[in-house]
Amino acid sequence: MNVMFEKSAPPRPAAAARVAPPPLRGAESSAATAGSAAPGRPPAERWRPGQLEFFVLALLVLLFAQPWIVDRLGTPAVQTWATVFVAISVQALPFLVLGTLLSAAITAFVPPSVFTKVLPERQALAVPVAGAAGAILPGCECASVPVAGGLMARGVAPAAALAFLLSSPAINPIVLTATAVAFPKQPEMVLARFVASLGTAVLMGWLWARFGRPEWIKPMRRPHDHGGNGRWENFRLALQHDFLHAGGFLVVGAITAATLNVTVPKHVIDAVSGSPWFAVLALAFLAVVLAVCSEADAFVAASLLGFSPTAKLAFMVVGPMVDVKLIALQSGTFGRGFAARFSSATFVVAIVASYVVGWWLL
Amino acid sequence: MLLILIGGALLRISLTDMYLRYVKDGLRPALIAAGAILLLVGLVSAVRDGIQRRAVEPAADAGHAHAADGEPVAPAPAADEAGHGHDHSAGPRAAWLLCLPVLALFLIAPPALGSYTASRSDNVVAKPAAANNDAGFPALPPGDPLPMTLADFLIRSVWDTAAPLKDRDVQLTGFVTPGKSAGTWYVTRMVISCCAADAFARKIEVHGAAAPPTDSWVTVTGRWLPNGQVQADDAMPALTAAKVDRVPTPKEPYE
Repeated sequence: MNVMFEKSAPPRPAAAARVAPPPLRGAESSAATAGSAAPGRPPAERWRPGQLEFFVLALLVLLFAQPWIVDRLGTPAVQTWATVFVAISVQALPFLVLGTLLSAAITAFVPPSVFTKVLPERQALAVPVAGAAGAILPGCECASVPVAGGLMARGVAPAAALAFLLSSPAINPIVLTATAVAFPKQPEMVLARFVASLGTAVLMGWLWARFGRPEWIKPMRRPHDHGGNGRWENFRLALQHDFLHAGGFLVVGAITAATLNVTVPKHVIDAVSGSPWFAVLALAFLAVVLAVCSEADAFVAASLLGFSPTAKLAFMVVGPMVDVKLIALQSGTFGRGFAARFSSATFVVAIVASYVVGWWLL
Repeated sequence: MLLILIGGALLRISLTDMYLRYVKDGLRPALIAAGAILLLVGLVSAVRDGIQRRAVEPAADAGHAHAADGEPVAPAPAADEAGHGHDHSAGPRAAWLLCLPVLALFLIAPPALGSYTASRSDNVVAKPAAANNDAGFPALPPGDPLPMTLADFLIRSVWDTAAPLKDRDVQLTGFVTPGKSAGTWYVTRMVISCCAADAFARKIEVHGAAAPPTDSWVTVTGRWLPNGQVQADDAMPALTAAKVDRVPTPKEPYE
């Protein structure tokens, strides 16, 4: 049945049907399905809890924890957490929609031959070209992850797609303008940001081309193109799939960022502002946990009094490339193993680039 | 269905003023567009999937009716098979997390950031360009009392060497944040550049009036109290209040 939706469609109606009944009846029927389905499956397949099981569990927890939760909901810390969580999600959604629109359009309407024509054949050259092309995507980091995924799905070399992924949230005109506004007396900050971000992106692309293994990237399984579908149908399926996929992981990132935002005390960060080496590391770390949108991070950096310009530069170079929201998005799109390796390597390269460029320009 | 839910939620907060609690007002067109696109794609998907399921399902009339509802019924064999789909798809399972912000939005209805965040953030009064050139600041506009933003008040009191705030009655609107020592309080506005995650506070110490309840919104009428907090970007200027009025929460809570 329904071959076209091998990946994207069946879970949704199935889930809707299963979640719809009230929890008590649901619990019964879950046991029933688990039992009756077992003989039909290969014996090797492990029983895995489905959506219904999680749903029931969550409801049970809610039920028993209810008095405790109601007590806590009123506290300012929880309300602040909820505000920050909703704010990050709401702010990121339009960019995620833009990113998935572009990614779906690339998949559905742009033939792979276009990229082989535009990008130089040699990877070593394709990487800087793709990195510089990042300047044209006017969005923040949430948009770039699905676009990079779409590029890879269309046969662009991963090294080039990754350089694009890293550079586009940092060096597009909107972000650079915001940086210029945030640092009115330091125009060299804009140049430093551009150079350090592009440098990091290209270096990471080359590193990937040299040391990266294809199996580190878990290919994203998309709805299959069966040829029978129209272009618009493919576009819609890719859009729906990419958005739902990335959106879930965005929420994970937003939860993490909101939690850290509320719990990490600012004076801990301030305490190290005097030491030039620790200050850079501290702000780079802050950029990872705060997950501020790349269009706004210049204002946050400018408001961090007492830190050296190099430390602020590190904040702005690391932020758009590595943060908890991005790590979650990358895990969802390219797999956890990839996100762990890639993010930690990028973090180190970005800090080194900030030191070098800061020493040179600032 | 998820797409319709998210799209609807986005439209709901962006067509009312609710979105102003979380993001900058400039993001509104993007929010509306994103909400509309999601809603559209969600609706098209609902219709297409309904039709396609009906097309591939050679069941009896009853089956057709149910499938058209978009809710396959458990006993139908075709629907049962569809149920297997959930096992090998990490994607859509993660997608259910998208319900969380929507739930948080409508169950908790998180308020705009208030005194809790403000008490963890200090003033940052960047030296404005006008403080460097010879012409200096333009004259303050007329008005008695003169309504000012907290940003204006901070910049004028900290960096304007002509001290134009001397002997002027001004009006500042913000919420109440208790001070570090008992009895002191600040009239406060949060500032966001993109969303609430990047917020920081602007605070002005208020003298001469007892503190209203924390987080309540007030309009303070009074005069600048020179307390030596000038020419520094982490200054904390003060105001002697003549009058403190409770006001409703403004539409745009951030400055």
